[in-house]
Amino acid sequence: MGGATNLPPGFHFFPSDEDLVIHFLRRKVANLPCRPDIIPTVLLHHYNPWELNGTALQAGNQWYFFSHAAQSRTSPNGYWNPIGADETVTSSGCIVGLKKTLIFCTGEPSKGFKTNWIMHEYHLQDGGYNVSGSSTSSSSSSSRKSQRKRVHSSTESNSWVVCRVFESSCGSQVSFHDEGTELSCLDEVFLSLDDYDEVSLPNN
Amino acid sequence: MSISVNGQSVVPPGFRFHPTEEELLTYYLKKKVASERIDLDVIRDVDLNKLEPWDIQEKCRIGSGPQNDWYFFSHKDKKYPTGTRTNRATAAGFWKATGRDKAIYTSARRIGMRKTLVFYKGRAPHGQKSDWIMHEYRLDEAHNPSAAAAAATAGDPYYSSPPPAAIRGAAGDQAAAQEQEGWVICRVFKKKNLLHHGQSSGGGATASVTGHTGAASSKMAAPMEGSPSNCSSVTVSDHAKAQLLHSASDDALDHILQYIGGRPCGSNTKHHDTKPALLDHHHHHHLATTTTATACTGGGLYGKFMKLPPLEHAGGLLQSPPGDYGGAADASGIADWDALDRLAAYELNGLSDASKTMVSFFDEPGSAAAAAFSSSVHATTVGVGDGDLWSLARSVSSLHADLTMDNV
Repeated sequence: MGGATNLPPGFHFFPSDEDLVIHFLRRKVANLPCRPDIIPTVLLHHYNPWELNGTALQAGNQWYFFSHAAQSRTSPNGYWNPIGADETVTSSGCIVGLKKTLIFCTGEPSKGFKTNWIMHEYHLQDGGYNVSGSSTSSSSSSSRKSQRKRVHSSTESNSWVVCRVFESSCGSQVSFHDEGTELSCLDEVFLSLDDYDEVSLPNN
Repeated sequence: MSISVNGQSVVPPGFRFHPTEEELLTYYLKKKVASERIDLDVIRDVDLNKLEPWDIQEKCRIGSGPQNDWYFFSHKDKKYPTGTRTNRATAAGFWKATGRDKAIYTSARRIGMRKTLVFYKGRAPHGQKSDWIMHEYRLDEAHNPSAAAAAATAGDPYYSSPPPAAIRGAAGDQAAAQEQEGWVICRVFKKKNLLHHGQSSGGGATASVTGHTGAASSKMAAPMEGSPSNCSSVTVSDHAKAQLLHSASDDALDHILQYIGGRPCGSNTKHHDTKPALLDHHHHHHLATTTTATACTGGGLYGKFMKLPPLEHAGGLLQSPPGDYGGAADASGIADWDALDRLAAYELNGLSDASKTMVSFFDEPGSAAAAAFSSSVHATTVGVGDGDLWSLARSVSSLHADLTMDNV
């Protein structure tokens, strides 16, 4: 998992929204190599979400890939339908990107059936930044406030998106990453029971 | 702890230290116990007694990115002078174990256990519960040579030595076998408030609490109102629900019962209307006629399952049995059962799509109670409309009846 890195166990590709936009999408748009260059480009309309294995970067139960922003997001067996409102992605207080959430529906557009497959699609906000030769080419997210120049909606820069696809279980978006930091239902019950129990000694 | 070499982070963008439980045990703890070198040693040793949870963030920071959980090694050698319990008190409070330990498996082989602890500020018995949670992982003896010697004397099935007197009473508490000492690896995090939608900051968005889950809690609010319930037991994430549903092997219900059974039967005057009625009865079997369905379930089950300390005084003045539960005075058995009822209600509510799993969850071998629960719940499923409280109440009381019959 996570591609060609030599990290010891425990380190996983677990990018934040900001990571995806700043370290990957922005560089992709600027034609700079991503470090590490682990997110492949996938022609979204060629694949159903369950066929991404081996094509997109798999991290846990999530798949990551670059794609061209498309008007129609159709796939062999269905289409991606936007749900919810777009969210902004911020970095150091600046809006750097837009996050759209889509759900995969099988069948013909507008009369398909929803599946459990969810996609987060990240766009650069208002096109890309001209990163070449300016201090903004730094991949650090901090020193970007000043000296940034916008490339106005160049088709080139707008055409890339980075996507995260996952199958939500039971309507939630919990990934394997949360296995240790979510309390189980049972834990919650025990915790609430503890409320009624004024104990005198810390248990062993 | 820095993960930089020459100012350059060795962890590429997008990567985070977020080990699975298996990785914690099979790589980090195993190496620690064997004193082997750990690549990119990001987990430091910590003296738990000297570190407050809010200081952990600084001390156990890995890199510079945002972090939701923190890791450290701790050596369990501090004991209370009077016994074998590990002393996990700090200057500001103490860590108290909650629930029961969970076994950790790797490819179907048990490798260790996880204990969940909550941080309480202050000193027992007046500690104030915080949102700080710790998962403490320990290796099974087979993987932990240093603990093997200690465990060998602790009645572990793999070792033939007789159990020592110090072993704790609770049946099946394998934990006791390994409470001795040795290295553990801890993950500390702040409990998410599941009542709110978390922002989906990272790749793993927080569990969404939606539709029927929220509905369950609001529907249940009516009969439970006034019970000092912690709503989080109801509004658990779907993920957690799934976990629970699949935890049949954990004998989950059995252990809830056991756990509650180990509680003192206090009462909760401040909140419970049915209280006076309850307190007039020294034998809880009779409660059914005088109290609400919910309460009667609790009472009935108490009569059947629990060794009740005598009810001597009304109100919160109940004396707990000497030396037994550590002076718990305000614990409410009834409220405990409210919690279980709400759990049941929650499950019932989600039953339409989960009845099979649920049956398998409740259908545990060797537990008559669980079986009764299962059949009762299953049988009444049809009658329980979406959010029909009275059907639910009926189902709960019929459950009570079943249990009564099974256990007389």
